[in-house]
Amino acid sequence: MAPSRPVPSSPLSISARALSSRSGLERVLRDLGPQIRRGDAPALAPGRCPTGIAAVDALLDGGFPRGRLSEIVGGPSSGRTALARALLAGATRAGEVVGMIDAADAFDPASAADAGIELERVLWVRAPHVHAALRSAERLLQARGFPLVLIDLAGAPGALHSDAPTAWSRLARAAAGAEAALVVLAGRRLAGASAELALEMRPRRARFTGTPALLEGLEVEAVLARTRRGAEGRAARIGLRVADPAA
Amino acid sequence: METPRRTAADRVACLLVSDLPLAAVLRAQPELVGLPLAVAAGTGPRAEVLAASAEAARAGVRPLLSIVHARALCPGLHVRAASPALERGARSTLLDVARSLSPRAAEVPRGRGVYAAEAAVHLDASGVNALFHSEQGFATALVARARSVGLPAVAAVARSRAVSLLAARSLLRAARSPLRAAEGPRSPADGDERDSSDTLVLSPDAEMAFLDPLPLDLLDPDDALADALTRFGIRCVGQLRRLPRRALVTRLGPGALPLLALAHGEADAVPLPGAPETRVREEIDLEWAIERWEPLAFVLRGLLARLAERLELRGLVSSDLDLELLLSGGGRDARRIGVAAPNGDPRALLGLLRLTLEQVPPAAPIEGIALATEGRLARTDQLDLFRPAGPTPSALGRTLGELEALCGSDRVGAPCVADDPHPDAFAQTAFAPAELRSPAARAARDFVALAALRALRPPVSAEVRAPRGRPEWLRSAVANGSVVGLAGPWRTTGHWWSPERRFAFDSFDVQTEDGSVVRLRFDLLRRLWQVDAIYD
Repeated sequence: MAPSRPVPSSPLSISARALSSRSGLERVLRDLGPQIRRGDAPALAPGRCPTGIAAVDALLDGGFPRGRLSEIVGGPSSGRTALARALLAGATRAGEVVGMIDAADAFDPASAADAGIELERVLWVRAPHVHAALRSAERLLQARGFPLVLIDLAGAPGALHSDAPTAWSRLARAAAGAEAALVVLAGRRLAGASAELALEMRPRRARFTGTPALLEGLEVEAVLARTRRGAEGRAARIGLRVADPAA
Repeated sequence: METPRRTAADRVACLLVSDLPLAAVLRAQPELVGLPLAVAAGTGPRAEVLAASAEAARAGVRPLLSIVHARALCPGLHVRAASPALERGARSTLLDVARSLSPRAAEVPRGRGVYAAEAAVHLDASGVNALFHSEQGFATALVARARSVGLPAVAAVARSRAVSLLAARSLLRAARSPLRAAEGPRSPADGDERDSSDTLVLSPDAEMAFLDPLPLDLLDPDDALADALTRFGIRCVGQLRRLPRRALVTRLGPGALPLLALAHGEADAVPLPGAPETRVREEIDLEWAIERWEPLAFVLRGLLARLAERLELRGLVSSDLDLELLLSGGGRDARRIGVAAPNGDPRALLGLLRLTLEQVPPAAPIEGIALATEGRLARTDQLDLFRPAGPTPSALGRTLGELEALCGSDRVGAPCVADDPHPDAFAQTAFAPAELRSPAARAARDFVALAALRALRPPVSAEVRAPRGRPEWLRSAVANGSVVGLAGPWRTTGHWWSPERRFAFDSFDVQTEDGSVVRLRFDLLRRLWQVDAIYD
């Protein structure tokens, strides 16, 4: 076994002399390569795209994985869209630009802004059907520079083509190449084995309070339906507040 | 206040291409370079040769021969029909080359007779020493740049446009004349500078000595004037210059004046035009109509490459493309292809053309194609120290173009909250992440998970039982069953001043027994129930 190269314990141990020559600088870059970050990069967990919802991030070991295809599935009022918006909000607040492929044409800019999404950092593609949505996602991933691409297929018009399995594996490869988190939002699981993880959202109850009654929020449950790491079946309860329209 | 007046340039360069029909064909089909090639005035066997490549000329092919005769002399001869469309493109490209090195340039009017096949531009060469070290360096750069876009040209620099044109023509003549070629280049002591057979720089005090021995036909006189001068025994420019001006005009008429001005190398009074147009156009006439995508893509790829090449000369890239197809039977198919962000990549632009033509194919086979675009500055990206790097401007431009072609130009952009009280209103603006500033720092604890609204576009109609004005049972495509939770109504009204756009809704938050929580509204004007959003 080859002896491992000694790594400086701290960047402070680098002397000015080491940086004064080209060879010294190359050696320092080689030794510290993985530890070097550009400027004030956002404090993201390495390789993860966090949602900002503590219970979900804990369930996902820090968030949705970058360079992988993930799924959020569930029926109406299950909190699937809220989770996707939280993901977009976290990424845009960190200064990233994100792609939102909306085959369902269901994105509501006003409620998205309420959820903390910086709208000008979102490329919103209103794909007319599922096939166009998948092709659009592939184009976005090939462009690089979009660390998060979300495909909303819940209730989208058009059926998946017979070549859909090939399309999912192609998208997963494109996500890996772009080192982007590719998240598919749908009513049911679609990507099969191409998905790194799948989070199944289930509605629990809606809270109406006060007189006259007001919709205060939704209570939902997130279940880890598929993961390549750790145990499946773990769940987390999430409370979602309804934005005050007067605020 | 006195407006500054533009003055004529004190040094002028002329960039000249001799056989334009041949150069235009070789520019469009560079695979023919080095092969025996004849450009003919038609496609039939009796068509006459207009121009021949050096390889064909060595085999004896020359202008005015019939194609049959030319093929007999040179069995491996390639023949192409002269294309006015390609020639127009080559002329414009020559002007682009000039404008890439000088702020003021103009096309030289077409010549007559043997000079009808040449293309030339004049450009301001004043003060070029600071950039090119010498006028010779400038001329060499001009020739090299013209060669880089497939146009074999010569360049000459002199005190006036007329003399620079004569000098450029004399260069070509010297290159073609075996006797002159054998003499070799003139020495600098002769009053001109040249370091190759493609360039010539005339200093002002050496111009007359240069002009004197030139033959008169270089001045391109009309036939009557040329005959008269020949009868007088005037054969070179020096002899003409020495004649008394008034007596010559009395005998030959005022038509002799421009010729005398040329012979005297008089400086130009009119300045060269500046402010070049940024619109470029490339076109091609096809010898056979195209019906399938593959050959069409081949032709379009060449057109786009030439278009991008010309734009690149001016540091520009392509914006929206105007595609014009001439169809069999006289039809015309014109369409505008949106390019979301300025793009100079011919492959990406070809992809956009393909998507457009696949969606709406032309109605008939294609006989001619023209592509035009407005040049735009390419977007540059200034990296921000405090935010992650986004997509590069070129990749983003290409991707936005592809997405618009795939989904529609009105369906791609950044979302924004519409300035409209209607609950269904939304808006999209141009997506321009390069113009964004760093995000405002916010504390993580500020984040509150909110239920999202999924818009239903268009709203879904619902069947509702509301005996006391409040929904108790609901059936729709998204929620069904008895109402188990209800809040509302909230009245929303707007656009009351417009009969077409006014609205009035009573909205409810409704949970049905199947678990769905939706926003239900009653349209007070149309008297119907609709579900316009789902809480999700």
